[in-house]
Amino acid sequence: MFEARLAEGGILKKVLDSIKELLNEASFDCSEAGLQLQAMDNSHVSLVSLNLRAEGFENYRCDRNMSMGMNLASLAKIMKCSNSDDVVTIKAQDSADIVTFVFESKNGDRVSDFDMKLMNLDQEHLGIPETDYACVVKMPSNDFARIVRDLSQFGESIAIACTKQGVKFSSTGDIGTGNIKLAQNSSADSDDNIVIDLQEPVTLTFASRYLNSFAKAAGLSEKVTLSMSPDVPLVVEFKVATTDNEYGYIRYYLAPKIEDEDS
Amino acid sequence: MGIHGLAKLIGDVAPNATKENEFKNYFGRRIAIDASMSLYQFLIAVRQQDGMQLTTSDGDTTSHLMGFFYRTIRMIDNGIKPVYVFDGKPPEMKSGELEKRTERRNEAQKALEKAQEAGDAEEADKMQRRLVKVDKTHVAEAKQLLTFMGVPFVEAPCEAEAQCAFLQKTGQVFGVGTEDMDALTFGTKVLLRHLTFSEARKMPIKEFYLETVLEALQFTMDEFIDVCILLGCDYCDSIRGIGPKRALELMKSHRSIEKILDNIDKNKYTVPEYFPYKQARELFKNPEVDKTVQISWNMPIDEDGLINYMCNEKGFSEERMRSGVKKLRAARGKSTQGRLDSFFTVTKRVSESPGGSGGGAKKPKEEKKKGKGGGGRGGKFKAK
Repeated sequence: MFEARLAEGGILKKVLDSIKELLNEASFDCSEAGLQLQAMDNSHVSLVSLNLRAEGFENYRCDRNMSMGMNLASLAKIMKCSNSDDVVTIKAQDSADIVTFVFESKNGDRVSDFDMKLMNLDQEHLGIPETDYACVVKMPSNDFARIVRDLSQFGESIAIACTKQGVKFSSTGDIGTGNIKLAQNSSADSDDNIVIDLQEPVTLTFASRYLNSFAKAAGLSEKVTLSMSPDVPLVVEFKVATTDNEYGYIRYYLAPKIEDEDS
Repeated sequence: MGIHGLAKLIGDVAPNATKENEFKNYFGRRIAIDASMSLYQFLIAVRQQDGMQLTTSDGDTTSHLMGFFYRTIRMIDNGIKPVYVFDGKPPEMKSGELEKRTERRNEAQKALEKAQEAGDAEEADKMQRRLVKVDKTHVAEAKQLLTFMGVPFVEAPCEAEAQCAFLQKTGQVFGVGTEDMDALTFGTKVLLRHLTFSEARKMPIKEFYLETVLEALQFTMDEFIDVCILLGCDYCDSIRGIGPKRALELMKSHRSIEKILDNIDKNKYTVPEYFPYKQARELFKNPEVDKTVQISWNMPIDEDGLINYMCNEKGFSEERMRSGVKKLRAARGKSTQGRLDSFFTVTKRVSESPGGSGGGAKKPKEEKKKGKGGGGRGGKFKAK
């Protein structure tokens, strides 16, 4: 039997919004430790790794490890029926082919429940090696979303160049070029500061489309962390957190664009 | 053509060995394409609205050029790197099959005349398509066009599928694009169907994985080749009375054609008088291929040559040709999108059913989404 009760149900809505653009379906792996999800998009360019710790839930019970394959569009339909301040409970029997969502309003006078069919998913789990990244940039997530959105107007790819001085995002396309530079600022405690931890400068190029999808998670937390090393996938991490509680994280991996070896 | 009923058999007994994927997800992939297959496809399918082939003002067919030009550009535009493989001499063993094809063509010719007499336009059109034959000019013209486009091609010493399979096995290409299932019998590990179909048909690419087929059938490659021969290949007749189902059963219990021949009731099943299955087997196992072939992926694009050839000689619109060339050039400069699988390795493949082994798993209501979305490698429904 699996049962998880989330006091701040709105979190689930936001989490779903930040993955449903990349994934059509995914399976949630439930264990004693919490809820996890790992899946690549159809083209195998990006990967979503979501982790919601058991401690983040008001109530969490998982007697047996299980995987729940869900169609995310269907899940979105169900989540639409909830209010963001509802208390959400997710329930499933051990050998069930359905999962139940219960939404309770804050004052408890409205309770709704929805069953959703689970599905068989054929999934490949990827082993992600521990990597010591050459540079790690921590910045306000709204800034990240804005930059990615602005530069997407120019071209289908965005170059991210990181040096000691700061980080530069640039894109080139038919209409011209756009560059946005952010300097590392020293006022350590300000909310909108940028912190760069750098071993060596790195420049990598990524498809704007995916960065834009990642930026959908900006609502989950104030900060985003970008980790890069030469010739390896970028990691974009958002903590899943509210002022009251820290739930876990959502990490996106994105394969860089590479120079054509044939030309 | 190919192996009789193999695609259906795989779909029935090894559904996991096939996957559908969107055309645009093949960016950066090098793919060997069976050019002879494509030639037929284009000559048959690329037609005007009245069903007639495209021709120059002198009446020379240009359907194949149209096909090679646009469908190659579609691939390149999507980041695919095609290399075409042309047939060489047909193997001697194919003469029986070729004779049959000539016979069928003669029948079609007769049927066409009959239909024309009767004024049955639909039937006449159908028969006309059956009459299509690729000749040397078509091949030469296609090669000429590919040269101008800077698209590599290879001339196989013998069967194109065999050469394609060789390129795939040696890692020079990711997969083989053909409709002909015997590419699998020649040892292609990844076969892609529907690659050269028209965009308008919105057909997803269908992938076949040889290794998964073998795993599901629990056959070795040699046994698989024997199954293909029993199903019916281009190189020898099959035993009458043995269909796909019987062929599988017999192979499962006897494991080779020799033993099957020893054990079956010859009165019930008619073994052809001349049944050179050993030679056919040898042909699949060690086909004549060019092992020294070098593919150059970055050949120059000859725009002037192409315009002169296609517009002045073949009567295509210059504007369209130029815009095509523009696409070819644009694809050259682009960097390619990497794939996560080349950085991270698959640690485990899970195909779980909800509720563990509980048999209550129902197929979800939301069937595969057509078009956008569904059918990725990462998340696909299992058939059962």
